[in-house]
Amino acid sequence: MSDTDKPEARIFTVETRFQKLARRAGGIPRDQAIEQAMAQIEEARPGFDDWVGKELDKLADVIKTARPGMPTSDWIDLAGSHSRQVRDVGTTMGFELLTYVADSLCEILDAVAAGAELNMDSITCHLDALYLARQRPYCNMKPDQVPELTSGLRRVVEHVSTSPHEA
Amino acid sequence: MAASPTINLRDLVVLIADPSSYLSMIAHGILRGFGTNKVLEVRNSIDVLQTLSAQKIDILLCDSRLPPHGGLSLTRAIRRKVDNENRMMPILIMTSDTREGTIRQSRDAGANMVLAKPMSPASLYDRLAWIALTPRQFVDTPTYFGPDRRFKIEGYPKGVGRRKSDHVIEVAEEAGPALGQDDIDNLFSAARMGKD
Repeated sequence: MSDTDKPEARIFTVETRFQKLARRAGGIPRDQAIEQAMAQIEEARPGFDDWVGKELDKLADVIKTARPGMPTSDWIDLAGSHSRQVRDVGTTMGFELLTYVADSLCEILDAVAAGAELNMDSITCHLDALYLARQRPYCNMKPDQVPELTSGLRRVVEHVSTSPHEA
Repeated sequence: MAASPTINLRDLVVLIADPSSYLSMIAHGILRGFGTNKVLEVRNSIDVLQTLSAQKIDILLCDSRLPPHGGLSLTRAIRRKVDNENRMMPILIMTSDTREGTIRQSRDAGANMVLAKPMSPASLYDRLAWIALTPRQFVDTPTYFGPDRRFKIEGYPKGVGRRKSDHVIEVAEEAGPALGQDDIDNLFSAARMGKD
């Protein structure tokens, strides 16, 4: 569509208060700001274990309500929400194995929501892996330090992703 | 090498809208590290609208899945409300879903930028700096109100902060609002009356 077809469009310049104030002198340079932010994240780290424990318990409660054949909309959004939160916060806090497992579970839940067959074993094995990844010494490990676990989860995800639901 | 950009966030009022209190706390901490001293947190769209009705907000950081209708519907509602004094404030959508379609929908809703979760201090600082240092014009049409969608990220002036994955995306056709004007009006009046 050419501009002449849209005579009603009005384009104007805006300078918001955010832009005005953010450009003031006296700000914190990028590198220093990031360093200070990382220090703030470190301060939040002691509370992470407690938080992730509660999130996993909530996730387990949601998964308990799920059964093959029931409408996925009843529980999958909630399970996905808890899984994503664990994945996102885990990454920011630097817990790589936990993040890997949570991301793998997110893939399964997304696949089921998109129509793949619901296999509860694929979900409960991820939940078990999440509880494991939360514990010492696993909480400080990277995925490549536990290749058997990660390749096993990978196979589960691939199987679920290629299993269409048969109504 | 070009000098790193600097932004001054002191005394700017930042509103974080995220259903997760822990994620909000982390975002709040990151902003504190950037020098922000006025941060508000809410957990749903109704509380966002109530806050916007009550005070001036300088920037909104909003989760794409914010209950009850999602951050994109909220963004549309804010942009379309003519008598809303925060109508043109920068809105940054935070999302775990970084598929191109989601990013396009965020842009078409009127968001200034999308921030991929998991959030890192560097990615948040870069987006705040882009919004501050690279002003965009506003466009007002019958089907869209918001920052000009015809832009590309070229990084800060002199290219600082550009990532390999940054790329230009084609301008999509307007998909239309997910909420009608009546729905938007109802949301705002519910917020004013303190209803959830």
